Amino acid sequence: MHHSASNPMDKNQEIITICDLNKWYGDFHVLKNINLTVRKGERIVICGPSGSGKSTLIRCINRLEEFQKGSLVVDGVEMIEDVKNIETIRREVGMVFQHFNLFPHLTILENLCLGPIWVHKKPKAEAEATAMQYLERVQIPDQANKYPGQLSGGQQQRVAIARSLCMHPKIMLFDEPTSALDPEMIKEVLDVMIELAEEGMTMLCVTHEMGFAKKVADRVIFMDVGEIVEQNAPNQFFTNPQVDRTQKFLQQILNH
Amino acid sequence: MIIYVLANILPGLIDWLFISANWIGETQDDCTKEGACWVFVNAWSQQSIYGSYPTDELWRVNLCLALLTAIIVSSYLLDKSLRAKISVPLFLLFPFICILLLDGSYIGLEKISTDFWGGFSLNVLLAAASIIIAFPLGFIWALGRQSHMPFARSVSIVLIEFFRGVPVLALFFMGSVMLPLFFPEGTNVDKLLRVWIVLILFMSGYMAEVYRGGLQAIPHGQYEAADSLGLGYWQKTLLIIFPQVVKISMPNILATFVMLFKNTTFLLIIGIFEMLSTTQTALSNSYWLGGYAAEGYIFVAIVFWTCCFGMSMLAASIERQLDTVKR
Amino acid sequence: MNPARTTLQKHAFFNNPHYRAIIYQLLLLLGLGVFFYNIITNTLANMEARGIKSGFDFLFSTAGFDILMSLIPYDATHTYGKTFFVGLLNTILVGVIGIALSTLVGFLMGVAHFSQNWLVRKLAVVYVETFRNIPLLLQIFFWYFAVLSALPSARQSLSLGESIFLNVRGLYLPKLINEPGSLWVYAALGLAIIAIFILRRWATSRQQKTGEQWPVFRISLFILFGLPLLASLLAGIPFSWESPVLKGFNFRGGITVIPELIALALALTVYTGAFIAEAVRAGIQSVSHGQTEAARSLGMPENRIMSLIVVPQAMRVIVPLLNSEYQSLVKNSTLATAIGYPDLFTVFVGTSLNQTGQAIEIIFMTMAVYFTFNMFISFCMNLLNRKVAIVTR
Repeated sequence: MHHSASNPMDKNQEIITICDLNKWYGDFHVLKNINLTVRKGERIVICGPSGSGKSTLIRCINRLEEFQKGSLVVDGVEMIEDVKNIETIRREVGMVFQHFNLFPHLTILENLCLGPIWVHKKPKAEAEATAMQYLERVQIPDQANKYPGQLSGGQQQRVAIARSLCMHPKIMLFDEPTSALDPEMIKEVLDVMIELAEEGMTMLCVTHEMGFAKKVADRVIFMDVGEIVEQNAPNQFFTNPQVDRTQKFLQQILNH
Repeated sequence: MIIYVLANILPGLIDWLFISANWIGETQDDCTKEGACWVFVNAWSQQSIYGSYPTDELWRVNLCLALLTAIIVSSYLLDKSLRAKISVPLFLLFPFICILLLDGSYIGLEKISTDFWGGFSLNVLLAAASIIIAFPLGFIWALGRQSHMPFARSVSIVLIEFFRGVPVLALFFMGSVMLPLFFPEGTNVDKLLRVWIVLILFMSGYMAEVYRGGLQAIPHGQYEAADSLGLGYWQKTLLIIFPQVVKISMPNILATFVMLFKNTTFLLIIGIFEMLSTTQTALSNSYWLGGYAAEGYIFVAIVFWTCCFGMSMLAASIERQLDTVKR
Repeated sequence: MNPARTTLQKHAFFNNPHYRAIIYQLLLLLGLGVFFYNIITNTLANMEARGIKSGFDFLFSTAGFDILMSLIPYDATHTYGKTFFVGLLNTILVGVIGIALSTLVGFLMGVAHFSQNWLVRKLAVVYVETFRNIPLLLQIFFWYFAVLSALPSARQSLSLGESIFLNVRGLYLPKLINEPGSLWVYAALGLAIIAIFILRRWATSRQQKTGEQWPVFRISLFILFGLPLLASLLAGIPFSWESPVLKGFNFRGGITVIPELIALALALTVYTGAFIAEAVRAGIQSVSHGQTEAARSLGMPENRIMSLIVVPQAMRVIVPLLNSEYQSLVKNSTLATAIGYPDLFTVFVGTSLNQTGQAIEIIFMTMAVYFTFNMFISFCMNLLNRKVAIVTR
């Protein structure tokens, strides 16, 4: 993508810095002392058993979840209790959900234009042109005037990705983007994600698609009971896991 | 701001309702003017619950109410297989047992004309007796509306839409001034009986729509499964469809019943002595001309509110249960 | 003998589903025929025996009774046909007031259910649970007999300024009197509305072209009030108020709102408002949380999320519920007859029926009117529903 052109200078620039992040649901300690730094253009896959806090972690990054302790800086903006601040960060960060969350009362094109028009205050024609570009990239330009309910799950998820891209985010968060899909539709969504990764987008993906992780990830993070247990480059991670829990988890997920 | 308003109103209200209120006594003179006169409610309590039903015969009304409670409780307690055999026939017989008991002349008791029936017990019994008959009748109408037979379908639609679209009050007037014209000359149909018929028909219209929602929620696979077992239409409908429809419609059925129950107060307008009506009578009684409207209405309101709120809560809890079963 | 044969031999025409359907329907037709034949012959016989006339001639004969309140000129010398219209207009009046106010109250209370403020939230719950579980007729009586009759007499009226009075006989409001030159102000008002209309279209197209947004709502409000105000100042304020004045035992002049109307409208508003609040709550709750999250992750501000994402989707649940609430409000307005507010039911089914005895005609006319109201409400709400419907596969 033009705006995230890989400049070797900013390859090392930190775009997300998470320090000692703690979160509780009542008495339940969901995230325990999370420390994580993400560099620009880095592709990170987060995996772990359900309830390990991996979704909660990435939902903290665009403040869909509050946290009680620690600090979080996204692209130089510190996350504080301030509406303007939160909105600024959300504009920089795109998110794709497990259940797509397209707006069912709007057409595909309207879904894509909503953010650019109301948040970036773009002229409608310009927003639509951009939207069509992205729809072509996810290969469904012919569905532009249909409603979400008329599309298959895979198509809906691709629209959801395009909707986020229309906001020209610097970071993309994926929260189990393929786990609500039928098996034959998973590939079409992964293909879009792989393409995006190859273009140098900074990505954090919560997923169990280990093939995807091996192919594109710079780093794989394993989480369990609210902690980061292990992180490593994918070939290290898969061939030589350091911790017992990681080994067990990998056995379960690869031999199911 | 809200706190300010509440702080201004609440102390005075509590004082009037409880602290300065008069609780004991028998006549108007026992009331001071500072607070609410609950003596009024106390003095008229028998009237407002039983109407002018003779005091010596009140056991019959109580028996009916007890019977109703017993049937409802038994249907919860009984085993599922017995429920269909015992509770359902009991429910269907209940209105007629009540008529026999309350009227008395058919079973060798003193005859008590319907003119003396009244009060809150009348609201309860009338509402119960109406929904019991409307329960199956409404289902038949709903089936008719879903039927593939064009004539049966149009008749059902006309019936349902007519009884839903017209104000209940108009139906009551129809019952009291038009219905007598429909019967052969010389027959005198009791006023309460005509009201009952109207309530049944009115209720059936609403119940039919509730059932329709339930019928639409039943997956098509259920019909196909029943067909593939070789069940006939009525077997399929009564054994497979009806129980499921009743189950998923239960919250709405209760809501409809609450509406019917509240609407039984409308009977005041055509001169039936239900609870609100007895209260109005009490308010215009020459021994109680002190202006106790607020006390009287608050008492009636509390009685109705308790019943209706209880049923709404029940409906809400059933709904939550159904939701969790679905998930 | 093979089984197929057996079924063939046993086959009787009444087992064929098609014939069965026809037989059932014939039986139904026969039943209905006998039923209606009996009813009609009985009715005719009864009417003859009691000397009841039939037909609609009574509509043209003099009614001979007064009506408490009328929006059109009416006195006892007018016909029953005229009483019908007087009642009809009064019903429409209370219906419109009731629908407008209960919608307002209902939406406020429904949204209050999601307020951040604990007290506001609890207040909304208490309001809904209290008023929807108390019979409407009781509420009407309460306002009419317990609250409004406890008001002071005309001489000790509660007053707001020297122009609005509230006493046991009703609410007295000042009346606006047009003086020469007032036409200009109305013209300015018309102009303001047209200007706002043009402005909105311009703002939308500008927004589509350049993406810039205008505070259209605030500017519209400014024009709506500013322009007529300016015109009336220029024309030397061509209005005067006719204030109600105490003469003898009662007020004269101004607009009088009779207590019957106040009690009925108040009770209908409070009762139906509780149901609408519940509908609004259900509607908002039906929108999945994922929708809000998705909008948030696009960086949309909360008020835009409410207006662009949540409310449009909630409407699809709210509108059908509103439809039935509005219909029951209109049907419930017949309770006017219990306190003597002269709506269609009171004057027509009440007084006119009593005087003429023509039950069948009068009741059917009245039912037809309420039926028409319901159809009209349904029609409007279906139009609205089509606008908020969501396309699925």
